[in-house]
Amino acid sequence: MEELILELKKEIIEVLNLEGMTPDDIDNDAPMFGDEGLALDSIDALELIVLLEKNYGIKLANAAAGKEVFKSVRTMAEYVSKNRTK
Amino acid sequence: MIYQISHNIISPLGFSSEDNFRAVKNGETMLELQNTAFSLPEPFFGALIDDDLLDTEFARINTKKFRYTKFEKAAILSVSKALQQTDIQPNSSRVQFILSTTKGNVHLLENADGFDSERVYLWKSAQLIANFFGNTNEPIVVSNACISGVSAQITAKRMLESNECDYAIVVGADMLSKFVVSGFQSFKALSKELCKPYDKNRVGLNLGEAAATIIYGKTDKPLPDNSIVLVSGAMANDANHISGPSRTGAGLYLAIQKAIDGFATPDEIAFVNAHGTATAYNDDMESLALTSANLHERPINSHKAYFGHTLGAAGVLESIISSLAITDGTALKTNNLHERGTVAPLNTLTENQSCSEQKFLKVLSGFGGSNAALLFKKFTQHNG
Amino acid sequence: MDNRITSYCRITNDAVVVNGEKHTIPRTDSPWLSDIYHAENLSYPKFFKMDNLAKAGFLGAELTLKDLNIDKTEPKQNIAVICCNRSSSLDDDTAYQHTIQSADNYFPSPAVFVYTLANIVTGEISIRNKIMGESAFYVLEHFNPQKFCSFVRGAFSDKTIDACLCGWVEYFNGNCDVLFAYVTRNELKNLDLHIENLYK
Repeated sequence: MEELILELKKEIIEVLNLEGMTPDDIDNDAPMFGDEGLALDSIDALELIVLLEKNYGIKLANAAAGKEVFKSVRTMAEYVSKNRTK
Repeated sequence: MIYQISHNIISPLGFSSEDNFRAVKNGETMLELQNTAFSLPEPFFGALIDDDLLDTEFARINTKKFRYTKFEKAAILSVSKALQQTDIQPNSSRVQFILSTTKGNVHLLENADGFDSERVYLWKSAQLIANFFGNTNEPIVVSNACISGVSAQITAKRMLESNECDYAIVVGADMLSKFVVSGFQSFKALSKELCKPYDKNRVGLNLGEAAATIIYGKTDKPLPDNSIVLVSGAMANDANHISGPSRTGAGLYLAIQKAIDGFATPDEIAFVNAHGTATAYNDDMESLALTSANLHERPINSHKAYFGHTLGAAGVLESIISSLAITDGTALKTNNLHERGTVAPLNTLTENQSCSEQKFLKVLSGFGGSNAALLFKKFTQHNG
Repeated sequence: MDNRITSYCRITNDAVVVNGEKHTIPRTDSPWLSDIYHAENLSYPKFFKMDNLAKAGFLGAELTLKDLNIDKTEPKQNIAVICCNRSSSLDDDTAYQHTIQSADNYFPSPAVFVYTLANIVTGEISIRNKIMGESAFYVLEHFNPQKFCSFVRGAFSDKTIDACLCGWVEYFNGNCDVLFAYVTRNELKNLDLHIENLYK
């Protein structure tokens, strides 16, 4: 799981253009959206849906479905490990 | 006074303003499931202009045999049909072309189809459209996302008032493509069935193709009864988010206030033709702004379940339909609205109803946080 | 003719000039616009999510406003943001097209698509500076001071507008050509000539 978490952090930094951030700057359990933590927005959420499909073969129907999945990097990693098709 | 001299709509519902209005009044739409268009992996619900029908009509006016794209054909045909109703010389240096579009010929990025690389520039399309009519003034392109068609009319009004031209030909057009549809799909913004503006169960928008033209002129003299005057227009920005509407509607409220302040009171407004895209956020945002402006009890409608969101054409097309509606004394219903469901309650119409007031408001909001409002008036000898 | 424009900024492929003064921008392996961002000590992480057009406009606006005492946190209804260019959003359009070009690698990117609307740059500038006045984007074949000033004057026909942050913001295929200016209502006289001189 730790390996997948690190992999996801690297991918998140890259696709969301989080300039100057390293995986160490992202807390495994901190909220990704909202005013705290990474403070991502609705377009970031849509881009994370593309990331799941492109890299892990997971299709999410809409942004609402991503809400639980994208709570933190850890919840995202747990979802990926359970549902990945590639 | 800045007033409409003539207009035209080219849409899947017809190739004249009157045919389009008649269809809308009858509750018709050409929005349907598109399974094969643009070889997209997922189908989408939308309305496309029939290529053969457009080609046939266009061939009648294209005596030069120059090759045009579908986008250019629809825009030129629309301008041509609007001009036919007037005695304006379109090649005059006092005629200004204003093109409202978001994506123009963007489909050429995928496949240039024998056109040179310049053809994908928006100014190039605008030049070809103006040049078709022998007009060599530098045309203006307004590209302001979903509000383009209203912005373009505001630009026309200003250029007429500052005497930069005597006539402004405003043409709004956008065609669909793999580019545009896939983008909206990636936003998860599209409804898989007919969109439901202001409905409790709305889930997203439909896309549609259209080209629409309004020719504006100015006069100090009384106009014939039922002429449509563009009284005022204004824009404002949410300064909130590039793709999500403001949660409060503050930007739209500001645009509306600027457009009506000193020109109309809420009870003089026959109806508000709003954006009503049928996305959850847009329609809620509008309900808040219209409530703040004390317009929530006026009849409110959206044309999106007739035409879909026609992007750069929307502001022009919807202004024309609403102009014909006020002349007809009809406040149009919102198609496919069954159960009202916006965060602030609105008097959204579920049936066409008659109206006697002489002014209407057209509002739009869009990506980039932009909002715009236009106030129109039906001229009569009494109110002139 | 004295320069009657409150503040302006010019960015080309190799120079940044603010109010007549050339700024030194150390070059690194990063793109030109990122080098400018760092050299000017700007702090706005969202910059790196923007497409090149929005970045170019953002920088033009930031540098133009730098020495003006404008509170970026207070909502302002009396300023308009007007931009125009030649290539609309074609730089980002091309980038988005890459995400859908091949059927085997078809992953339309929402973060790229959102910038395929040219006026997003006016939105980014409005958000950054909490500007709630009119915002609009126009496209012309070439920089044309008469048309540019017609748009700016037009914005002032809204009586609630006291100032206009206006710019020619061109970015396509690595070519950057930006002129930004902050124009107040009493600077409209001879604006065409001033703007033309600044663009040269």
